[in-house]
Amino acid sequence: MPTYVYAIVSADHPTSLEGLQGVGEPPAALRTVSAGDLAAVVSDAEEGLRAKRRDVLAHEAVVESLMADGATLPMRFGLLGPDDGRVAEVLEHDGDAYRARLTELDGHLEFHLKASRDEQDLLREIVAESQEIRELNERTRSGAGAQEDRVALGELVAREVAGHNAEQAEDTLRRLLPVATRVARSEPGTGHFLNVSFLVAAGSTDEFVGAVRKEAERGGDACTFTLTGPLPPYSFV
Amino acid sequence: MTLVQQSSTTSSGSGSGNLYDVLELILDRGLVIDAFVRVSLVGIEILKIDVRVVVASVDTYLRFAEACNRLDLESGRKAPTQLTDIVGEVTENGAKGKSKGALSGAVEAITDSLQGKREESEEEPRKRPARKSASGRTSAARREE
Repeated sequence: MPTYVYAIVSADHPTSLEGLQGVGEPPAALRTVSAGDLAAVVSDAEEGLRAKRRDVLAHEAVVESLMADGATLPMRFGLLGPDDGRVAEVLEHDGDAYRARLTELDGHLEFHLKASRDEQDLLREIVAESQEIRELNERTRSGAGAQEDRVALGELVAREVAGHNAEQAEDTLRRLLPVATRVARSEPGTGHFLNVSFLVAAGSTDEFVGAVRKEAERGGDACTFTLTGPLPPYSFV
Repeated sequence: MTLVQQSSTTSSGSGSGNLYDVLELILDRGLVIDAFVRVSLVGIEILKIDVRVVVASVDTYLRFAEACNRLDLESGRKAPTQLTDIVGEVTENGAKGKSKGALSGAVEAITDSLQGKREESEEEPRKRPARKSASGRTSAARREE
């Protein structure tokens, strides 16, 4: 039976697995595979395991619990080794890299931030800033304008939206960077200008959250900041 | 200002509360072992829809044009239309449990509105295409795909 891998920790991590359940239905029992001074938290994986809500949550719960007790390298969801023996071989073979990352991440947590600005609020600013956009908007508003005017208007506005979003993202990041150890950006989805993970030292989390709060205040009512964390350092392994 | 702060996804018995916001991290980040396989992620490609960047296309341009056209008609209204979505439970959930006091809880925590409702679900987790913000402030402007 394949071995599902949740996380890699140092062998002196307490790995208290009591009360935790693995993936699958019924939930698989958790165990550790050790090799030298490293250990992997694993379980059996049933045939046909898929990314169901229950399983993703189980994975996350195991990793969060381990994280609370010491440095933890969270695996991406759904990683399957052929058996425990192969997991031990990997720990041995790549041990140096894992140890280095555990040391680097020790005492750090991930926070994930998404930020958005109300679209109408942004559009109002964009329309106010550009004579050309205002004229095109007037011309097309009645529904009488030509299709090419509409496309031209949209293209101008789309460019401005992208520009404003990028600028707001850079400004926000620049002010948050000093309180974070590392940053991992993703493409913001529709409606967001920022989608970013921060690695934050455990001792600096208050300061970090305070800085995010300040950014949210600066953004005013039109902006929504969603901060999730502390999380296992998924983005920094 | 609006700051929605969510503690971790599984603590405090909050079920799947904040899973959506971290799904991309759990599924797309984290450590991999090259020689190992991954379970099938069939059915959750929909995740990518929300992560997709606005691409330059005539459709996008027309949508922006339409939004601008409508904007003028509505701009006189100091619209509190944003507040229609507040359906979430508001709970004290400031980084309890597993986070071991890493946060002071100084910022009020509001858990996601889906909290508790879908714990029984056997569905594959789906990124909602247009997520209802727990604060209810942004969703009015979000386009349903």
